[in-house]
Amino acid sequence: MTVRFVPDAVWIERAEWDTPLARTVRARWAGALESFDDGGAARVASVRDGKRLLVVQRHRGTFLRHCPAGTAGLVCCNYLVVNLASNCPMDCSYCFLQDYLTDAPALTAYTNVDDALAEIDAVLRAHPERSFRIGTGELSDSLALDPLTDLSRQLVPFFAARPNALLELKTKTDYVDHLLDLDPAGRVVVSWSLNAASVITRDEPGTATLDERLAAARRVQHAGYRVGFHFDPLVEFDGWEQEYAAAVDAVAAAVDRAAVAWISLGSLRLSPALAEAVRRRTALGHVAGAELVPGIDGKARVWRGLRLRMYRVLAARLRAALGDVPLYLCMEPPAVWERVMGEVPTDRVLGMRLAAGAAW
Amino acid sequence: MADMESAVRAYAAAKRFAVGTLERWLAQPVDGRAALLDLADRLRLGENQFRDIFDDLVAIGARRGCTVAEVLGDADLRVVLARPLGRNEAVKAIKTVLRRLRYPQLNAAEQRLAALGRSLRLPAGVALQLPENMEGEHIAITLRGRSARELRAQARDLAARLDDPAIEEMFALLDGAQV
Repeated sequence: MTVRFVPDAVWIERAEWDTPLARTVRARWAGALESFDDGGAARVASVRDGKRLLVVQRHRGTFLRHCPAGTAGLVCCNYLVVNLASNCPMDCSYCFLQDYLTDAPALTAYTNVDDALAEIDAVLRAHPERSFRIGTGELSDSLALDPLTDLSRQLVPFFAARPNALLELKTKTDYVDHLLDLDPAGRVVVSWSLNAASVITRDEPGTATLDERLAAARRVQHAGYRVGFHFDPLVEFDGWEQEYAAAVDAVAAAVDRAAVAWISLGSLRLSPALAEAVRRRTALGHVAGAELVPGIDGKARVWRGLRLRMYRVLAARLRAALGDVPLYLCMEPPAVWERVMGEVPTDRVLGMRLAAGAAW
Repeated sequence: MADMESAVRAYAAAKRFAVGTLERWLAQPVDGRAALLDLADRLRLGENQFRDIFDDLVAIGARRGCTVAEVLGDADLRVVLARPLGRNEAVKAIKTVLRRLRYPQLNAAEQRLAALGRSLRLPAGVALQLPENMEGEHIAITLRGRSARELRAQARDLAARLDDPAIEEMFALLDGAQV
């Protein structure tokens, strides 16, 4: 089992002390609690330090956003993200939060969940003709804080009652047992970021192993959830082909392909600041040694030919093992889609296909 | 050990290294610090060159699962350091070897691409341009002549060579074909 997140301390915003989420945290947390006033939130020096302290506070601002991966020039899947937490207790070497959260590094769970749900509800009601895919795993892991917040048990019934949205709970944990007695009504996809076994060992400290993730996927699938998988980031290292093939075969052996909602492939990409953060880590894994070169957007990626080869090898293996499950590329330009997938869907078509669970 | 740290600090101070660079150097195990100091001394490395080389050594170590000191013991690097080269030539030669070790597949693909380009024996005035780091899908060919007649001759010559299977193989390499 994954090591459960145990913070060094929990800080709760004084005005939020009696909110449902704060009460849940207080009931489940046996350690020391501190309170703070608005504007006096605990200051932490770095994203890594921030992982050791859980801050419970009100979110100021909107919750629902377009996925930031939808950059101009890249094929986008029209995904929406709802940020109910920020930062993550796990410590993946390649995590963009190391760069993205430098100004607000504290691991934070937001208390005003009802505001978030009202915001989502308003969007869904305003566009009943559209199908939305909404995820909570952008600025944090969707399930990692649930042992303290129990948040997902609130989200599943909310989305189960809404016909035009799918909730994606994206995780690297195996913390799913609290979801098993809920009825997702086909509206919730629990998905796992997957990687080659040695990438998980060397570059994803604190996460569940590949076997643990897949065992958890099997459990939620038996409980009626659809599942998804994200081979992202694909990391190049000596032996990548064999290890990723083994991971794909393990997926095929673990789950029923009919319940796989989607699988994505994404290449390792590091901004200059993130690349520097990777170099400064004490334990270097496969990510630090990958054959990355700077692209036209300044981000380092595996050089194009090798990237294409990795995508093709993975896509072929997935097709052979899992048939025609919906498969897509994340953050790639039309030219790469064309070369790997043989087509370039529009953003709208891609989003609709994934929302409908349509294979192609 | 204290002497080694002092020596590293003295070198970094003399070359005005940034604190971050010094900290990374000192975070190395003792054998790594010493090997880096030996290299820096021999090549009289300034901070930018030191950092570039250090980054490559660390990445190669991560790739191979070994230490910086072990990477610096690589036979190809030892050969370069043993050659009677001037300082600039030695730095350039070290960087060339490091790139080959850091990017073994990219380097092999680039070497093959360059060999295929040479095999075309393009006429004088016709130049082949390949994407840097193979990060692109286009190959450009430029003609450079002093007259229309010269350009026409180059174009005819070039057109005949574009049927060479080497051209197809070059595009296949850019498209991910394995060397």
